[in-house]
Amino acid sequence: MDLALYLAQQLVNAVSLGSVYALSAIGLSLVYGVLRLINFAHGDLLALGAYAALALLAVPRLPLGAALLLPVALVGAVGLAVERVAYRPIRRAPEVNALIVSLALSVIVQNLLVMTLTAQPRPFHLPPQLAGLLLLGGVVVSRMALLTTALAVGLMTALHLMVRRTRVGTAIRATAEDRDAAELMGIPTDRVIGLTFALGAALGGFAGVMLGGQYGRIDPFMGFLPGLKAFVAAVLGGLGSVPGAILGGYLLGFGEILFVGLLPPALSGYRDAFVFTLLILILLLRPQGVLAGR
Amino acid sequence: MRAAVLLRTGGTAAAAVLLLLLAERTLNEYHLRLLNVVGINVILATSLNLTNGFTGIFSLGHAGFMAVGAYAGTLLTFPVARKAMLLPDLPRWLAQVEWPFLPALLAGGALAALAAVAVGWPVLRLRGHYLAVATLGFMVIVQVLATNLDRYTRGALGINGIPPYTTLWWVAACVAATLVVLGHLLDSGVGRALRAVRDDDLVAQALGIPVARYRLGALTLGAGFAGVAGVLWAHLITVISPGAFSFLLTFQIVVMVVVGGMGSLSGSVVAAVLLTLVPEGLRRLEQGAVVAGLTIPPLFGLSQIVLACALVLVMIYRPAGLLGQAEVGWRHLRHLRDLRQRRLPAREAEERG
Amino acid sequence: MRTVVLVLALLALLVGPTWGAAQPIPIGALYGITGGMSSIDAPGANGMRLAAKEINARGGVLGRPIRLVVEDGKTDQTATTTAMSRLINVHRVVAVGGLNDTTFVLAAGPIAQKARVPFVTAGATAPQIPEQVGDYMFMAPFGDDAQAYVGADYAYRTLNARRAWILTDQAYDFTKTLTRFFKERWTKNGGTVALEDQYRGGDTDFSAQITRLRAQRPAPDLLFVSAVPNEAGLIIKQIRQAGIRTPIVSGDGFDTPLIVSVPGPELADNVHFTTHAYVQPDSPKPEVQAFIKAYRAAYNRNPENAFAALGYDTLYLIVDAIRRAGSTDRAKIRDALAATRGFKGVTGTITYEGGRRVPKKSVTVIKVTRGKLAFAAEITP
Repeated sequence: MDLALYLAQQLVNAVSLGSVYALSAIGLSLVYGVLRLINFAHGDLLALGAYAALALLAVPRLPLGAALLLPVALVGAVGLAVERVAYRPIRRAPEVNALIVSLALSVIVQNLLVMTLTAQPRPFHLPPQLAGLLLLGGVVVSRMALLTTALAVGLMTALHLMVRRTRVGTAIRATAEDRDAAELMGIPTDRVIGLTFALGAALGGFAGVMLGGQYGRIDPFMGFLPGLKAFVAAVLGGLGSVPGAILGGYLLGFGEILFVGLLPPALSGYRDAFVFTLLILILLLRPQGVLAGR
Repeated sequence: MRAAVLLRTGGTAAAAVLLLLLAERTLNEYHLRLLNVVGINVILATSLNLTNGFTGIFSLGHAGFMAVGAYAGTLLTFPVARKAMLLPDLPRWLAQVEWPFLPALLAGGALAALAAVAVGWPVLRLRGHYLAVATLGFMVIVQVLATNLDRYTRGALGINGIPPYTTLWWVAACVAATLVVLGHLLDSGVGRALRAVRDDDLVAQALGIPVARYRLGALTLGAGFAGVAGVLWAHLITVISPGAFSFLLTFQIVVMVVVGGMGSLSGSVVAAVLLTLVPEGLRRLEQGAVVAGLTIPPLFGLSQIVLACALVLVMIYRPAGLLGQAEVGWRHLRHLRDLRQRRLPAREAEERG
Repeated sequence: MRTVVLVLALLALLVGPTWGAAQPIPIGALYGITGGMSSIDAPGANGMRLAAKEINARGGVLGRPIRLVVEDGKTDQTATTTAMSRLINVHRVVAVGGLNDTTFVLAAGPIAQKARVPFVTAGATAPQIPEQVGDYMFMAPFGDDAQAYVGADYAYRTLNARRAWILTDQAYDFTKTLTRFFKERWTKNGGTVALEDQYRGGDTDFSAQITRLRAQRPAPDLLFVSAVPNEAGLIIKQIRQAGIRTPIVSGDGFDTPLIVSVPGPELADNVHFTTHAYVQPDSPKPEVQAFIKAYRAAYNRNPENAFAALGYDTLYLIVDAIRRAGSTDRAKIRDALAATRGFKGVTGTITYEGGRRVPKKSVTVIKVTRGKLAFAAEITP
């Protein structure tokens, strides 16, 4: 087996996986920036996105783009609602309370999904245009992965530009930096926070769609592990930084795939341990995360 | 004053012993089991509070320390004959030991404390969420080691048939020890120093408090008790596996600490009791019922949803936790009584000697 | 103060009067209905509840109805053990059925054993369970040794394979045990193992392992995959997507609709797995058809997997033992269970022979061809 080809294949997988983590991590990081909240229910937003996409894909004559992108809006709306109902009342409370609330929300969402839809994993059927593989110079790439990675990169770029260049983005950055000052300057911080939350949720929702598409099955618990990894990725890149979250996401994705790929089979069980050890080392060398600051 | 204190302590101890005897006589196995779980959770919650609440170290690795204690204690008490069957590849010195419970409890706690020193040394340099992620990483690493070091742990199969040494008396003794040690520590100068480190470690450093050492000490002590709890847990459930010491478990303990109040030891006790017993009480909700001729189907997961909603409400309406930073103890009850009777200045003068 | 009152009220709720009249016979159903095991345990609980309904519709047993008390173990060891304790001490059940995972059975089993309450696991397949727990512990399904031996024999004799590649999930005792027994029988038959590889439950990408597989020379002619339902479909999909058409063999972890739905009918091909029974609408067996029909009527969907049928059989087995014992005395029920001969269930015929509490039961082999399941063989090892 060609080493170069093998590495190329691993690279492709790493980019795919990294995109999922990056998307989720941006959401977490953004929300942290304005709310100082680590949203542990983020993983469940992924699951919601996947289920929404599954439902929409089954609607006849709905254009593909809509089926893939509507879940983003839907989950974003859910995020808005959640922020208003659950997080706004505790905004002035100690940080760790919001953590608990997010965990409670996660329990509620998961149990509701199990109660209404059962825990049975469901296949994520792709329409014929998206199913199937491409062979690019010996490397296997699934059409769905290609499309969703492209969309993910597009979304991330759009978000980054929005945060950096638009007035809304400036409002977000201002609120993140100093909420009270921002309010004094006339920025409607409540609305900004709501919007930020919605954006983060929307991105998470799309990450869920990607996951569902790439791996072909969804279940109510599918978001738990990616949510945790998104947290790790966000911290790695520096909490509150969008480019940092993207970098952290890809770093984590690459780290995971490469460890499995390059470690001898007997050691591949230690993969998570290696990834976390590396993470701890990075944090020790750069305690604020790799790209601290905005 | 000493006589009064001794009398009070003796009285409390005697009352506790009587209650335990009564419990053993009248309660059935199920209730006794619940009490044991409550006790273990009290130890876990109070020890985590020492680290997270009083010293301000955002540790998410408590389940990892519990795991270290559980596996260590198990390997020490496991009968030699069974070891030959289940763990044939243990090194000779380990395969031939079969310890009684007390030394195993102490060893489990000690090893967990050692792990805390090893982990804390590098990792406590970090702060806040970065520290949280690092401790989370430690927990994952422990889980991975437990799953892969088959020789010692049987990997994913876990170890079963652990001798059921945990009884109400052992749990009560460990709970008492934990509360006495932590209570005295937190009331003392060291306790105040820890709070200072939590509130502003720069100022604390300026005041001459060896911040790094105290933080490591808090982590280590908390981990030691978590290890003891782990040994107790292993010998109650009689089965341990890597999957049991998960992120979910850590979070359950974090919830207890926060709901009870991050600066309150008695808060952790109350929260541990509530959050262990309430889910059990809510089991009835799930059975389904026939109400006025309508059959309500069993709704599993409802109890968890109810609990989660209650949690959200507590967080919204009592953000500092149920007890905040207050404590409940004899002295505080007397203080309350004095407040009510306006006897305060005299009492304070009396106490100052 | 409010807190104190709240605590007292809750304690009262807890220690309060237990319900249950003397007449119905209480039988316990213990499953991880919520949490990670939900997808296999919830159907099991559904199966048991269906059986309870049917049994009561026919007059119950010994002239009394049965009351099935279902407790949720929440896929948590502590909650599972307290649930078992609750079933025994609060609901005073005469027997308990349920749980599909060996670790949880080994945690809850000793409690039942100590209380001398018969406990029949519906779906845990580690053959050493009854010996490790005690004489009140019974298994309704066959042991992993049985299904792995059948798998190895089928691969060697029917598929004529000689050189195996083995992929094992390291996160579950079930998958590791299955591989162990498979290897034992495989090498005994004369087969060789080209490479043993591994992954962890929860993984979603197997390209590293597949790459190593492709590098094997000479190429293996059998792929033995020891997996649980969550990864089953994914692994098949990725292996087939890599262009590898070698037969894939597995155990009852492949007994899930996901092995067809995830890869799609084109790629779900040349897959063979051992399982408890062929629970499909096109089964030739009338009892399977009747079960599927009844399940659909009760729950509006086909049985999700074999564990639904196993739960169903487990309750019928317990009730059959009660009938033969002629009493609700737990020791007598245990003896009646141990004396079970030729009990016909949806998942096969159960006989506890020679004092063993692992049943002598046939293993069904199912073959997947272009997305279609078909019965391949039924072998009693």
